[in-house]
Amino acid sequence: MKNTERKVTRRRLRSTSLSSIISISLVLFMLGVIGILVFNAKKLSDFVKENIGFSIFLQDDIREVDANFIRKTLDASSFVRYTEYISKERAAKELKDQLGEDFISFLGYNPLSSSIDVRMKADYANQDSINKIETFLLQFKQVKEVHYQKSVVNLINENVSKISLVIIAFSSLLLFIALVLINNTIRLTVYSRRFIINTMKLVGATWGFIRKPFLIKSIIHGLYASLIAIIMLSGLFYFVKNEFGDLVDIIDYQFIIIIFGVVIIFGVLINLISTYFAVNKFLRLKADELYY
Amino acid sequence: MALDTIIEIANASLYQDEQLILSDVSFTIGKGEFVYIIGKVGSGKSSLIKTITAEIELTEGDGIVADFNLRTIKLSQIPYLRRKIGIVFQDFQLLPDRTISDNLLFVLKATGWNNKSEIEQRIKDALEKVGLQNKDHKMPHQLSGGEQQRVVIARALLNDPEIILADEPTGNLDPETSEEIMRLLHDISLTGRAVVMATHNYSLLKKFPGRTFKCEKGKVIETEQMSEIDFESLME
Repeated sequence: MKNTERKVTRRRLRSTSLSSIISISLVLFMLGVIGILVFNAKKLSDFVKENIGFSIFLQDDIREVDANFIRKTLDASSFVRYTEYISKERAAKELKDQLGEDFISFLGYNPLSSSIDVRMKADYANQDSINKIETFLLQFKQVKEVHYQKSVVNLINENVSKISLVIIAFSSLLLFIALVLINNTIRLTVYSRRFIINTMKLVGATWGFIRKPFLIKSIIHGLYASLIAIIMLSGLFYFVKNEFGDLVDIIDYQFIIIIFGVVIIFGVLINLISTYFAVNKFLRLKADELYY
Repeated sequence: MALDTIIEIANASLYQDEQLILSDVSFTIGKGEFVYIIGKVGSGKSSLIKTITAEIELTEGDGIVADFNLRTIKLSQIPYLRRKIGIVFQDFQLLPDRTISDNLLFVLKATGWNNKSEIEQRIKDALEKVGLQNKDHKMPHQLSGGEQQRVVIARALLNDPEIILADEPTGNLDPETSEEIMRLLHDISLTGRAVVMATHNYSLLKKFPGRTFKCEKGKVIETEQMSEIDFESLME
């Protein structure tokens, strides 16, 4: 009999904890998904930006040694992702293939210059950096011209920053909602125990002693909620990988581990901090105020 | 404060939410005394008890309870004052999520007890004193009102308090059980502890006479004789 009653009470208390854990784990799952989206938005914008490049047209009389020197100088710089040397002959062949006409025999000479195609690192793929690089390159007398499409560079950068802004604003809003939701869930859980807290105060327990079990429980609940969120996120990865394999390829596993780590730290910290403030609030209240 | 004085209130005014409840409150209570606080509903009995437990801040006058100065007591010292006072409530206020034994265990742990065998012995002794030695494994809701109140008294006795403060301890009990609880509280006062009890139950007051303070018209007046108490008017 005594065991049955105790079990029923414990089960009831456990179900209250369980619903709070599930609410928090859903919010953490949502945060994990946002984290992945934000990271991938950066990757996608980096991908687009890293395809922004320019061509350096070299003087006709340039020696291959000098062209290689310029190329190596560029390769060694921090802003270049890769370079490719295109000789006069290769340029002519490629153009001939594109046009489908042998323009050299028509003109009688090869009018094209040898060039170096440069692809920038994402951080430098903007108007300012390209201007600086252009000024730097034009110091070489072997460089005839630096060519890039200004409008395209500006367009990409403007749109990428706009999309990033929207994603950051949206994520911040969701993060705020998540914080409020978790905080409210925890406050409701502590609220349901406000009379117990008051009784504890009246029998001479210190605030620290009353807080301790709440805080320990909040850490455990935070861990459980994080674990559930991680299981759901793993399920989501598995599903996406099966359905849209290519998409998952751009997510690296190190990043997934970081996201999981952030979910755990966030889950435990937000639980702990919210519980601390919620318990303190009810510790400060007088018995009469508990009824409002 | 005289050597055997455990509560001393002098020229105090008691406020609740900035509203004056009682003024010019002065009295002393000695060890082993059994004291009633009577008065109509809303006359300030509970406010007086809450002031003694430092739940209501004393802002005017002086008050010393078990060597704690109520005017200067810090928030961090209040739990230590309450360990010298055993509080008994009308609505019992047991922790509903744990057994009787765990309710008492919580108080002992909260007040610094660590030795397991000493804790077990203490719980056993306290429950024996109130005649509930076989109910230690029960949950509070499995006990009758009288039994729950006896557990509360056992809980109040755990740390050998110098004062037992009881706010309408028989308010939720039938006459027979009320008498049992009163007998228990009287026995406690005989062990040298002061028992201060706010009550409405005047038949018990006649049966178990004691020093009586009456809260009336914003004042606390000590009535010397039982005949001075107008029981009829108090029942209004």
